[in-house]
Amino acid sequence: MSPLVLGIETSCDETAVGIVRGRTLLANVISSSVEEHVRFGGVVPEVASRAHLESMQQVIKQALLEAKVKLSDIDAFSVTAGPGLIGALLVGVSSASALALALNKPIYGVNHLNAHIAVDALSSDVKIQPSIGLLVSGGHSSILQINNLVTDVVVKGSTIDDAAGEAFDKVARIMGLGFPGGPLIDNQAKLGSKDAINFPRALTQGNDIEKNKYDFSFSGLKTAVSRYLAQTPNFNRADVAASFQEAIVDVLISKSLLACKDSGIEDLVIAGGVAANSRLRELAKQRCEVAKVRLRIPPAALCTDNGAMVAALGSLAISEGVKPSAIGISADSAAGVDQIVWA
Amino acid sequence: MSTVLAIDTSTSRTSVAIVKNREVLFNQFHDDPIAHGEVLPKLVAKALEVESEIDLVVIGMGPGPFTGLRSGIAFGQSFALARGIKWLGICSLDAMAVKIKEIDFIVSTDARRKERFWARYINSKRDGQPKVSNANEILKLNIPIFNEGEYYPDPVQLVELSATNNSILTPIYVRKPDAYPVPKDIKIRAMTALDLITASGIEKQVYQKSAWSLNQFKEEFSKVPKSAQYLVAELAGEVIGYAGIVFNMDTADIHTLTVIDSQRRKGIGRELLKRMIDLARSKKVNAVLLEMRLGNDQARPLYEQMGFIEVLQRENYYAPGVTAVVMRKELM
Ligand SMILES: [Zn+2]
Repeated sequence: MSPLVLGIETSCDETAVGIVRGRTLLANVISSSVEEHVRFGGVVPEVASRAHLESMQQVIKQALLEAKVKLSDIDAFSVTAGPGLIGALLVGVSSASALALALNKPIYGVNHLNAHIAVDALSSDVKIQPSIGLLVSGGHSSILQINNLVTDVVVKGSTIDDAAGEAFDKVARIMGLGFPGGPLIDNQAKLGSKDAINFPRALTQGNDIEKNKYDFSFSGLKTAVSRYLAQTPNFNRADVAASFQEAIVDVLISKSLLACKDSGIEDLVIAGGVAANSRLRELAKQRCEVAKVRLRIPPAALCTDNGAMVAALGSLAISEGVKPSAIGISADSAAGVDQIVWA
Repeated sequence: MSTVLAIDTSTSRTSVAIVKNREVLFNQFHDDPIAHGEVLPKLVAKALEVESEIDLVVIGMGPGPFTGLRSGIAFGQSFALARGIKWLGICSLDAMAVKIKEIDFIVSTDARRKERFWARYINSKRDGQPKVSNANEILKLNIPIFNEGEYYPDPVQLVELSATNNSILTPIYVRKPDAYPVPKDIKIRAMTALDLITASGIEKQVYQKSAWSLNQFKEEFSKVPKSAQYLVAELAGEVIGYAGIVFNMDTADIHTLTVIDSQRRKGIGRELLKRMIDLARSKKVNAVLLEMRLGNDQARPLYEQMGFIEVLQRENYYAPGVTAVVMRKELM
């Protein structure tokens, strides 16, 4: 029988535990402190860390209950060791280390970003590699070439300023929609016209495309929206949301498909919190059909931060024969996608 | 028959002990203020080699710097959960105090930012909840002080205390998170000329020698409202803080952001800073700048949290040997 893996995620504001057996999802429990952060208009590290400690034990117990297994049944533990907020990461890493030591089981310290892509293994039987990965979240926007998800991932391009999710948050804020911005803009956009305003698509033309072929830039777009709002007293909120969203989504998908074409890879995986965006999912499907690229996007519920993705990456590492991490994992707040499983 | 695993991460020292029926089987530590997360599992792994059958986990609950403290608590709680055993929390200062043979004394540990966590003990009983204060204020009490260095929260003492003391279930943070919602009774309003005298009084208290004089303050304030804005924070009708911003062509400079000592870390500075940024935004400038002294790490986390990034340092700016750090936040 495939190994039973429990994954812990605490890199930002979600305290999450997932349990998988091989590629089968058994439990996925998330306790979010986002309500508290709404008052501040963004995630406050110390508030998040306190909340992690408060809910950690309960979330583990709940996940075991959901999966109908006991802690002593778990074959291996997996935990996000970076990137993320250091104080927040340490709550998860310390908890996972204790569980592994107490039960004398292996522990895998894994990369949060790669885990976002690994979660796709829970919803498709396709071999994950090689593929092009579009990783879009509040902290990251990158195009990856995934030769092997647990051993060999190369960054082809990334954002030179704001992350896509950050752009959603900031624009939602200047439009007075609130926090977090992604779902709020997604909902507004459904009521508006994506063609109402022609917002800029940065790094898609002329010299830019040569120099920053697979890179993104969203700060100009943000400025353009802000200028438009200032110059248009009676702006239509839904139209602005739809047109802004279209500009971001258009660039993300165009560049990903360009990476597929150039590398001859015919598989595209889209992952991360922004992959829950409904327009991104819809447009990616249309364009991939035309480009004859196989598209995989995890279910929206598994795109935002969760423990199942961490368990999934741990499980893949085991199946690929990767050695577990040593006792005393160092959390790394700035880990890059090439640091996949901690030594 | 009981075997206890004890853990303390409330100081720069990570300590682990195993005590079986009052016999100490293992007691080791490692000194490193930023490595509790890595050190603790290694020490516990070593301890378990000596004795792996544990019946109870006892955890030092602080007070202590947050990140290290939480590593120990998260670890201890999860260990107990995995083994299906109980855990108890004990105030870490108490574990230092039991070793001290005095009648009236203070136990204190480093709280960083030039502050100390401390508690007073009279006849071996703690007098109230642990507190956090400026080191000088504790000295003024004129009571013998015992700091970590000579003493540390000994995990073996934690075990002793767990048999007699009331255990606690929540971490002793003492300090509030850097960001806190502004208390409801705080009112923020525009500064008027009538506030100038109060404000310059606060200036003197907070900045001492480098404080703006009343005349300098008046001059600054004269730019309002054309090219500057000043706000005050009021608690029960009394001014407890203020902030001012000056608008240039494309940027805005925050000239001061001041909260009286006794009202710090309640979210007042953060709220004033937020209002300053909003004012800058309403003037449609591209960026907000501010300057602070190098080493002023009290305010720096707040600035960084609000999106300010260090752009340059100016040496000998405030005075010879004092470097100014310029921080900048881009606006959309
Ligand atoms: Zn994420």
